[in-house]
Order: sequence, then C-alpha cells, then structure tokens
Amino acid sequence: MRLKGFLVISVLGIAACKSPTPAEQMDSIQSWLATAEMVGDGWLRHSTPDKYSRQTLELSHETLLQISSDLLKAPPHSVDSASLDSVLTRSRGEVAQMARLIEAKDAPEFGRRLDSLRADQKVVKQLSDSIESRQ
Amino acid sequence: MKKVLQITLGIVTSVGGFLEIGSVTTAAQAGASFGYKLLWAILLGTICLIFLVEMSGRLAAVSKHTVVEAMRGRFGFPFFFVVLIGIVLVAFLVLVAELGGIGLSLQILTGIGFPWWAVPVSFAVWILMWKGTFSLIENGASMLGLVTISFVVAAVKLHPDWGGAAHGLVPSFPADQKAKYWFVAVSILGASISPYLMYFYSSGAIEDEWDETYVPINRVIATFGMSLGGFLSMAVLIVAALVFHPKGIDIQKFEQASLLLTPALPKWGFFLFATSMLFACLGAALEISLAIAYFFAQGFGWNWSEDLTPSRDARFCFTYTIIIMLAAVPLLFGVDPIKVTIISMALTSATLPLAIVPFLFLMNDPIYLGEHRNGWVSNTVVAIIVLISFVLAVISIPLEIMGG
Repeated sequence: MRLKGFLVISVLGIAACKSPTPAEQMDSIQSWLATAEMVGDGWLRHSTPDKYSRQTLELSHETLLQISSDLLKAPPHSVDSASLDSVLTRSRGEVAQMARLIEAKDAPEFGRRLDSLRADQKVVKQLSDSIESRQ
Repeated sequence: MKKVLQITLGIVTSVGGFLEIGSVTTAAQAGASFGYKLLWAILLGTICLIFLVEMSGRLAAVSKHTVVEAMRGRFGFPFFFVVLIGIVLVAFLVLVAELGGIGLSLQILTGIGFPWWAVPVSFAVWILMWKGTFSLIENGASMLGLVTISFVVAAVKLHPDWGGAAHGLVPSFPADQKAKYWFVAVSILGASISPYLMYFYSSGAIEDEWDETYVPINRVIATFGMSLGGFLSMAVLIVAALVFHPKGIDIQKFEQASLLLTPALPKWGFFLFATSMLFACLGAALEISLAIAYFFAQGFGWNWSEDLTPSRDARFCFTYTIIIMLAAVPLLFGVDPIKVTIISMALTSATLPLAIVPFLFLMNDPIYLGEHRNGWVSNTVVAIIVLISFVLAVISIPLEIMGG
C-alpha cells in the first residue's frame, strides 16, 4: 500500500514538474511558424485546397497565440523580451492575415505576407538559438 | 496455382492493411523530430510482428483454435478475464483513434470538423461489419489500403541519403531530448506489435478454414506481407525526415502531418495522403472492431463468424455494435484522435506482456501444436519479445509523462 502511494505521488510529482522550458516553447513556436510557411507555400503552388489551408493557418495562429502568451508570462532572461514580443506579434499577424487572404483569393498579397513570415522565422530562429546557447 | 494466388492475395492484403493512424503518426513524429535515427524501432517492431503473426497463424492452422480460445482453454477463465480487460481497453482506445483518423481525413478533405464525422463514420463501419463478409473486410479494405504505397513513391522521389537511412537501422543514443526519443521509440513498437493483430489473424485463419497444409503458406505470408508493410512505415519515417526535420516541424496535429506528401508529389500529394489515411484507418477500424468481438465471443464460448448472418451469432454482432457506438462518443465531444493515438500506442506497449507471455506457453504446448511447436529460433525471438515487452511495460507510462 505504501509502495502504491509512493508510485502515485511520484508519477503526479513528475507530471506536475514537467512544464515546457523556454527553449521547448521556442521550438514549438518555430514548428508552428514553419507549418504556416509550408501551408502558405503549398497554397501558392495549388498543392493544398483552400479550406484546409485556411483552417490550418487559423490553427497555427491560435497555437502561436497560446504558446507565445505562456512564454511571455515569464520571458527568458537571455533575450530582450520587447523584441521577442514584437517579432511574435508580427508573425502571428502575418499568419492571421494569410488565412484571410485565402478567402479573398489574393495570391500576390499572400505571397508578400509569406515572404515577411519567412523573414520573421529567421529572427525567431536567432532568438531561439540564443536562448538554447545560454541554457 | 490456387496456393500461389492465396499467397499473393495474403501478401497484398498484409501490405495494404499494415499502415494505420498509429504507425503513420509515430513514424512521422520520429522522422520529424529525429531524422532517420529511429528506423531501428520500426525494423525491430516488424521482426517481432513477423514472428508473432506467423505463430498465431500456425496455432490456428494446426490446432483449429484461435489464440483466445487456446488461452482460455489452457489457462482458465480467471486468467483470460484479466487479459480481456487489459487488451480490450487498449484495443478500444485504438479503435477510437482509428475512427478519429477517418474523421480527420474527411476533415482535411471537406473542411467539416471531425466531431461531425463521428456518427456517420461509425455507422459506415458498423454497416460494413453487419452486411459484409470476412473476405470483404480482409481483402476489400486492404486492397483500398494499397494507396499507402504512395509513401514509398514519395520517399524515392525525394532522393534520401540511403547510407544515412541504413545507419538509422542500428540503435543509437540521442544527445538531447532523451525522454522524447525513447517515448517515440516505445510508441513505434506499440504501434507495430499490436496484440489485436494476433487475435485477428488467428481468427481469420479459422474463418478461412486453414489446416496443416497452410503452415508453409502462413510463413510466407507473414514474412513477406509484414516485411513489405514495415517498408511502408519506414517510407513514412524517411519522408518525414526529409520534409519536416529540416524545417523543425514537430508533429502535434494531423493538419501538420497532412503536408507529408506535398513536397514530393505537389499535384496529388495532399489528396493521396488524405485517401491513404482514410482507407488505412477504415481497414484498421474494421479489423479492431472484429478483433474485440472475436475476443469476447471466443472467450465466452459464443457463436462467432463474420460470415454468419447476425441472427446466428447475435451476441458477437451485439458486441461490435456496442463497441463501435461507444468509440464514437469521445470523438463527438472533440477528443483529439492524435492524442488518443499517442496514449494508446504507449498503453499497447504497457500491456504487451499480458498478450505475449501466455502465447509463449501456448506455442510450446504439444496438445495444441504437436510437431509444429516452436523451435529454438522462435522461442528465442519470443523470449526477447517478452523481455522487450516487460521493459516497455515498465517505462512507457513514465516516458509518456516525461516525453510530453
């Protein structure tokens, strides 16, 4: 009975302790930005249908919003939180705008937003690398 | 000539029915997160599966008993009941995941959310079970599943580094993300060594009226069918390693995995992925529903056969009717099928000893198998599988928590 209690407490303890680190959150942000970029590229090349592309961009936007708000509650000391907030807000905006542009079928503007998103991805990657190198 | 046709059909159906949401999700996650490094887990799982499937077919062909009937007869009802609870609970979760996989495939094709598909999809699976024969379920669904060969086409078109891929067939230890690495490895093994396949395969051998002359045919089908199926899983991992890994995409949602084939096959890749998953999950959902109904019917001594009319095996049909209805409920409430898949693959690993330890005893029992009992090679492999299954049973749940 004692052993059972110990095991239950251990498992719950591990579960409670396991919250994502800032580096893991940055990895997640990069993953969803890359997903949005890949969907955007697919839509421009007519490889993915409109509904799927729009819904996946919306999902990327929601997930990015969730992760970045969690991350910015306790921003890592190794990066400037203002520039992190700025690039995350900007890239989320690009993703949300791309989802709207699919409905409007505005491929040229969509392409410009996609290029901006790619530029933001590079900035996020640099910030992520600096967080990982300080850990 | 008839036997050659049977072997060909058996291999083709094994290949077509190999992939399902668990194997695709775990292989895609492995490739996306770790490149080729986890190919060894698919190889190991496939080797284990070849031996287990061959043995369950041999047991049925020689003894005219399914694995469940033999286990119930050899170890008695109390032991059978414990195995029943463990295996059926996990198989039920896998069924939820497969029905969800069909719903997700329809979601990306139509834009209508998967919860809306829960009832129509469950009804379609049920009506196929109610009206269909064993041959329709075994061959029809698997033939449709052959569309999954598109993963191999994509892998070849992307020109992978075959040397690097061969290196991945040897187990390696990761420098970072250790918990996640081992959790994905455990999930791949859970997706490969699914006990329900043993129960389905041995029941199928009885449905098809196999006898001792089928022992060599069974060996060929199990070896080639499962090997080629394993290649399909490896192709999924290789494509994910080439498409997602360089971009840093970590597969958390089905929508992300849906992009798997588009770089290699820009025109048809998206639709090939969706239809591959649709048919693969449909085949798996039919097989799991049948396997659960077989488990109950054979253990409790009811009439059972997919080829009988429902009036002649009412309790068997009632079982799969209830199971399919219950499996639709979590999906109706929007439970994410990918999360269910990941949990069920780890739990499959945790319950493997329940399925495999009694099987080792059965395969050495002269009453059931006579001269066709396991030789030292098969016993050594099963002993290794038992050892692996105990390790997986101990580590799978903590890894699930630590690996996120």
